Amino acid sequence: MSAITNTPPNHRPTHRHRRLRLTPYLFLAPALIWYLVFLVYPMYQSLTISFMNWDGLSADIRYIGLDNYRRIFFEDDTARLALWNNVLWTLGTLLIPTTIGLMLAVALDRKLRGRTVLRAIFYGPAVLPLVAVGMIWAWMYNPQFGFINYVLKAIGLGFLARGWLSVYETALPATFLTAVWGGVGFPMVLYLAALQAIPQEQYEAAKMDGANGRQLFWKITLPWLREANVIVFSLAVINSFKTFDLIYTMTYGGPGRATQVLGTWMYFHAFQYYNAGYGAAIAWVIAIITLVMAIPYIQRMSRD
Amino acid sequence: MFDSKGITKLIALAVLVSLLVSACVATPPQAAAPAGEQSTTGGEQITLRWANIIDATGQEQWQAVVDAFQAKYPNIKVASESTAGSGAAVYPDVLKTSMASGSPPDLFFMWGGSIAQPFIDAGQVMELGPYYEQYGWDGKFAPWVVERIKSDGKLYGVPYHALGMGFWYNKTLWNEKGWTAPTTFAEQEELCAKMKEEGMYCVSMGGKFGWHTMRVLDYFLEHHCGPELHDKLNRLEEPWDQQCVIDSYASFQKWVDNGWVVPDFLTISPDDSRFPFFAGEAGLVLEGVWYEGVLKNNEQNVADYDFYLPPTDHEPLRFSAFPEQWMIPAGAAHPDEAALFIDFITSPEVQTQFPINDFANSATVGVNPDCNEWPLSCKWREIILSAKDTYPPTDQAFVKELMDGFFEVQDAIVAKRLTPEEGAKLMQQRAEEWLGRQ
Repeated sequence: MSAITNTPPNHRPTHRHRRLRLTPYLFLAPALIWYLVFLVYPMYQSLTISFMNWDGLSADIRYIGLDNYRRIFFEDDTARLALWNNVLWTLGTLLIPTTIGLMLAVALDRKLRGRTVLRAIFYGPAVLPLVAVGMIWAWMYNPQFGFINYVLKAIGLGFLARGWLSVYETALPATFLTAVWGGVGFPMVLYLAALQAIPQEQYEAAKMDGANGRQLFWKITLPWLREANVIVFSLAVINSFKTFDLIYTMTYGGPGRATQVLGTWMYFHAFQYYNAGYGAAIAWVIAIITLVMAIPYIQRMSRD
Repeated sequence: MFDSKGITKLIALAVLVSLLVSACVATPPQAAAPAGEQSTTGGEQITLRWANIIDATGQEQWQAVVDAFQAKYPNIKVASESTAGSGAAVYPDVLKTSMASGSPPDLFFMWGGSIAQPFIDAGQVMELGPYYEQYGWDGKFAPWVVERIKSDGKLYGVPYHALGMGFWYNKTLWNEKGWTAPTTFAEQEELCAKMKEEGMYCVSMGGKFGWHTMRVLDYFLEHHCGPELHDKLNRLEEPWDQQCVIDSYASFQKWVDNGWVVPDFLTISPDDSRFPFFAGEAGLVLEGVWYEGVLKNNEQNVADYDFYLPPTDHEPLRFSAFPEQWMIPAGAAHPDEAALFIDFITSPEVQTQFPINDFANSATVGVNPDCNEWPLSCKWREIILSAKDTYPPTDQAFVKELMDGFFEVQDAIVAKRLTPEEGAKLMQQRAEEWLGRQ
């Protein structure tokens, strides 16, 4: 009779199992380390600094709790003006470049001669550096030798010619117009991609049922663009609150402080006024607003 | 593939190999400095990090000076770290970042006054009194420049440039019109009125960053408040809502309203404000001694131009002037060599031997530009070095945060969003807010 020995199964992971379990983490490690060192750690540092009174230079750092945040919302007129300008900028961005982008996408989705060239032309401004765009447009707005006043005078509308960026009332809209020029291409491309995913059978079936062009757009096209809308709107809001380059290059926040936005006001405080703590607090206000706005975008992207 | 013993062996082998390799390629011992060359740092080879804003053309010119220094001190290699083209907008940020990260340069260029002050207040720069004694720098520079770079009576910098500002004009055009440089404020305004009658603007300025417009407002403050009060206002020892400030804002508004200033200038870049002046559409620009170089770079005939000090109706006639300096960070790796380099590049012998553009406005006494090549700089030099007193541009008297309050009021006055009285009141409010936060 042979003795049957019931040896318990060996639950100790083998060398091979251990290696397999670690492998994904090893692949993730470079990106994770990069992310922790260059993103998470600076964010943590910046959050800490936002509770301090610090000039960004000396060893004299003082904890002041929420004072910097209180100052943004209750004491600093310019911060509130900057926030309001950001809100206006966001509303404008949601409405104008997005609508133009959609219209262009619908137009260029059709079989037109030279539509590839037209797509490239309309997308072109989106790939230009905003600093260069700002400088070029600042020249175009120049009251003495700028292209815009020149054209207005040439077509008999000389009474409209003015220092577009020097007048308090027109400085922000004029800067925003530049943003529209540069910002139409991106939503157009996103909408074009979405339009091309719509099954043509649906249009054909609807046409057979007698649907007209308007009905096709509202009943088929627009519902199919829901996914694209989430992305376009979320990115529009996020980018609007991050606005910096155009204001910095075209008006430097002026005249007076009329075109200050949170991004430039943060920069002025953190880097020019030696108020690193206050600048960090403004940066976190921007970050929180954009994070809240980004939630639907992140949810949608995660689900996909 | 390897067990733990294997890995240990592998590491040991790698260390051994790296030691052997480094021994084989080690730098040979430095040869003794030949006669005429001097050795510092006990012969140790060092690299001196020199932060500046010298542009590419300037760097080429400076190379001969650097080469001469390196030939004299062969153990020191000078590495120029330039942030050219940004002016005071970005360069201080670059310095601030390097200092905050614990990696400051060994010496750096800096403007005077409030732009340098944050670095002094933060304890990020060395007090250079001992080096002044060691190198005998007292008496080497224009006295007002030395006074201007002092902070609480201490010297944290070594003067580099002494720069003054005045009204530049096209004398050929003025001769045709029969105009002469005014000697009183009233004559200045009469001249502006005449220019307007001739279909010209009196002054061209670019208000984008505020400081170009500020120069004209500073002139009005000097005229209306007088030297003593103007200085006290700059030190916030007097309130800004007083009558002479209101009068200054009123003058500013008058010049704009009368069409004496090229219109819609508030967000025009200072560089772009040159074009109406060059085109003969504006009679004056308020610019500094460096403008002769600007004229040359813009292919203007320098012989057509001249300048005068804006008449203030006060004695002595003060004009806007400011210094530029070299500073040594408190955390510099090689402060002694930095001081040696500063002594070298500010010495009259070196600046005379290498007449580069950057030395045309030197703060060093006894250095003069070539008067055939730089006639207007030469004329300026006499004025600057013999000046009994000058006043600082407000942006070197106020810290940037307060200065932006000044610019805010200035713009609102131009746009007539504030009356002169309201402007003066708001300026005082900005001053009090800033003082309250200190």
